[in-house]
Amino acid sequence: MSIAVNGDASSSGWQNQYYHVDQVLDRPGPRTDPSFLAGDGVKDFLRNQCKILVIGAGGLGCEILANLALSGFKDIHVIDMDTIDISNLNRQFLFRQKDVGKPKATVAAEFVMNRVPGVKVTPFYGKIQDKDEDYYMQFNLVICGLDSVEARRWINATLVNMVDPENPESLKPLIDGGTEGFKGQARVILPTITSCYECSLDMLNKQTAFPICTIANTPRLPEHCIEWASVLEWPRVFKDKKMDTDDPEHINWLYNTASKRAREFNIEGVTWSLTQGVVKNIIPAIASTNAIIAASCCNEAFKIATSSAAYLNNYFMLIGTEGVYSYTFEHEKRDDCPVCGGQTMDITISRDWTVDRLIEMLVERQDIQIKKPSLSTPTTHIYFQAPPQLEEATRPNLEKKVSELVDDGGEMTVTATTLPFSLSIRIKYT
Amino acid sequence: MTSEPQDIETVTTAVATGQPDNKTRRYDRQLRLWAATGQAALESSRILVIGASATSTSIMKNLVLPGIGHFTILDHREVTPEDAGNNFFFEGQKSIGKRRADEAVRLLGELNDSVEGRADHGNVEEILNSNPDYFLQFSLVIAHNLQPALLDKLAKFLWSDSSHPTLMVVRSAGFVAEFFIQFHEHTIIESHSESAPSLRIDKPFPELYEHAVSLDFDNMDPTDHAHIPYVLILVRALEDWKKLHEGNPPKTYAEKQQFKKSIQGMKKKLDEENFDEAEAQAYRAWTETTIPSEISSLFQDPSLSSLTPSSPPFFHLLSALHKFTLEPPYTLPLTSTLPDMRSDTMNYIHLQTLYKRRAEEEKARFKSLISKDVKIHDEIVDLFVKNAHAVLVMKGKKWGGFDEDRVTLGNDIANAKAMDPSGKETAKVATHLVLSALSLLTLKNPSSTPTADALKAEVLCILGPDIELSEEQLDVAVGEVARAPTADLPNVAAFLGGMVAQEAIKMITKQYVPQRGYLVIDMIDMWTGSVGM
Repeated sequence: MSIAVNGDASSSGWQNQYYHVDQVLDRPGPRTDPSFLAGDGVKDFLRNQCKILVIGAGGLGCEILANLALSGFKDIHVIDMDTIDISNLNRQFLFRQKDVGKPKATVAAEFVMNRVPGVKVTPFYGKIQDKDEDYYMQFNLVICGLDSVEARRWINATLVNMVDPENPESLKPLIDGGTEGFKGQARVILPTITSCYECSLDMLNKQTAFPICTIANTPRLPEHCIEWASVLEWPRVFKDKKMDTDDPEHINWLYNTASKRAREFNIEGVTWSLTQGVVKNIIPAIASTNAIIAASCCNEAFKIATSSAAYLNNYFMLIGTEGVYSYTFEHEKRDDCPVCGGQTMDITISRDWTVDRLIEMLVERQDIQIKKPSLSTPTTHIYFQAPPQLEEATRPNLEKKVSELVDDGGEMTVTATTLPFSLSIRIKYT
Repeated sequence: MTSEPQDIETVTTAVATGQPDNKTRRYDRQLRLWAATGQAALESSRILVIGASATSTSIMKNLVLPGIGHFTILDHREVTPEDAGNNFFFEGQKSIGKRRADEAVRLLGELNDSVEGRADHGNVEEILNSNPDYFLQFSLVIAHNLQPALLDKLAKFLWSDSSHPTLMVVRSAGFVAEFFIQFHEHTIIESHSESAPSLRIDKPFPELYEHAVSLDFDNMDPTDHAHIPYVLILVRALEDWKKLHEGNPPKTYAEKQQFKKSIQGMKKKLDEENFDEAEAQAYRAWTETTIPSEISSLFQDPSLSSLTPSSPPFFHLLSALHKFTLEPPYTLPLTSTLPDMRSDTMNYIHLQTLYKRRAEEEKARFKSLISKDVKIHDEIVDLFVKNAHAVLVMKGKKWGGFDEDRVTLGNDIANAKAMDPSGKETAKVATHLVLSALSLLTLKNPSSTPTADALKAEVLCILGPDIELSEEQLDVAVGEVARAPTADLPNVAAFLGGMVAQEAIKMITKQYVPQRGYLVIDMIDMWTGSVGM
């Protein structure tokens, strides 16, 4: 393979390279905003000034990088913490068999630079949390193609926190895509202005969690046997050895253990593939859905960067199982959104509730979804998950009634290490 | 006759102690959607795409990745500087001057070693004139922005016999696009419908009924009482209800509420969640198990009255299904899949066994109703029975027929206007018509750039004097196409690439439900919508 020279745009380009894209940059359409300045100015901004960040170089990320490069973005950065697995190859089309085990961000960047001359793609093999505000401040736009809710919440909160009303440059449009099988969504978030990722948390499908008592005592489904093997048997047998769901030996052990239990209870249907699916929480993924959603995201990035057409306001949802069904709507901002709302969230509970019960409810609530919350009031540490000394000191409070610790209408701060924000709640008693 | 489940279990365990093979690992994330049957169908498919435009290669990318059997790109032209700038399957300047088909096949081929790709430098016009049978070696033909006269000829030829390949027609200009699937008939066993089959709580089979009435709810151990599966609770509650109501199930709203109350009344302790579950599922008791109208309407299909041994297996199975429903209990064959419910292992597995056994018996009866003249694989029969509540027969339409059918066109436009004051429904018809107008104009005058006025005149000509279309909507659609009439924008190409490949996969695997009519796409306001269904 030959190595392309990544010099400046003018030297690597050619006449009519942008024949197609220029048709919408040289003149406005009937719905284009009057502020659109057709011609060289907009092309110069897109091709020589605009800096865009792509988060994720997986199923969506590969598509996003290729689309952006062809659209004329020339300064692209990409972050991904993963390495390439064989099961990626049915859709992550910048990777080949020989790339298995290498970092996704690096391989993807290399591929796009070779394929589309004149484009510079800067990879970062690592976590988004490794970077600070100064890093994110350098971009004009951010596109996310992630499969993790937690990472999305992090970047969303980070970009919302970065907004400085005095400095328009601090507002970074965030375009977010996601897919699952034949379904997907793309959305445009203008931090602090439109509904943010956190505002719509309650739209996520609730994950199926099997109660421990079912797993331990009354299994009925093959999934119950698999959970028994991974949640109860693994720690019992292997003590402190960490389970690695990418290790086929580990999956094998889980599969055999689950099969044995299933036979004992006359339960059918434990297979290798199901075992892997349950323990890794595998979501089906195909090239075509990723292509649709990534294209929608990049189209929005292109429209925002060029003003050549109005951008999506603000949510596009696709269901491709029965014909093609899509729904475009404006998701509304939540006044009590812990990230962008500014208003304290009211939580009404009974005076009998213990702190433990309150924590359980916070974990369960679809619009909060906080995994291991720590609670405090301006004057008291109610319960802290870490460090161990503080956990131990506050543990007795779990059994106490909330009403003994907080007055009616009193405020409480909820934090978790996984989230870059704290949630203010106001406790009210029934 | 049935083999011991224990044996099967042991065998699969022995075979699968190692991890799955490389192919299964590579395709794992898609096999979870269409399973080995869908994958096998993909691998035996042969797809032709006419022209190596950015849209065409985007479509092919999403078909090569999941592993179709073969693809041919038919294109006699060379890569221009314009092509090299917007197609990821050309290598920039290095590809300029080379054959489009060669470059695209080479770079698409890298995506999947198990797919066979062929570059054909033939001219589609010559092939259509001299050797149209060329197209019959494929299972699916895809044409993007094909010159209208050729498209018309190709569509007519492929429509001329119901055994000819499916045609997917794709058109795009700037931010707007559409596609259409031309097929005669498409049968689907695995529609992956989200509607659940009946558990027949209202018409319990004898073993279920006996089991439910034999339970001594009152004198049961409290732990057992809290673990009775809701199916049994409902069968029992309904039985008790009917005794007091002249054999009738709850009918009115008040009766239904009362029925729910009676379920709550069966509780021994307030926290028995299995009874709460029964209350939540109470509709299953009063919803009569009948033949869904979507299924009974299939029994009217003319194919059933003219069955011969060479008719497609699907229709033999459909015929057997029809006969099955004419005998008591006048339902579809029972499902063998019991949803999860609150219960202990023993009760649940026992109930599941009752369902499985009964389902096996009914399947055997179903099999006995299949014409003796045909041999159908057991796996297909099993699939059919399992999906009997959601099988589908789609009747397709000829490409281009919609624009010529003034009555339907007029009705669709009137309906769109009535349905949607915001204008989106009208906008999608308008966009479709402008894309048709663009085709007609390029046919009349291939060398000149279509103007907004010319496009509008062409649409008005299609509409004729009687059909009215909102001028405002039409101007928007016309303006958008006139702005970029020959632009194959990378993002629109990628979007279409996903959409068309997805629908091709549904056609090939005969799983899930493909699009009916035109799917029109506007990537400015970001919507999709169906026209001419």
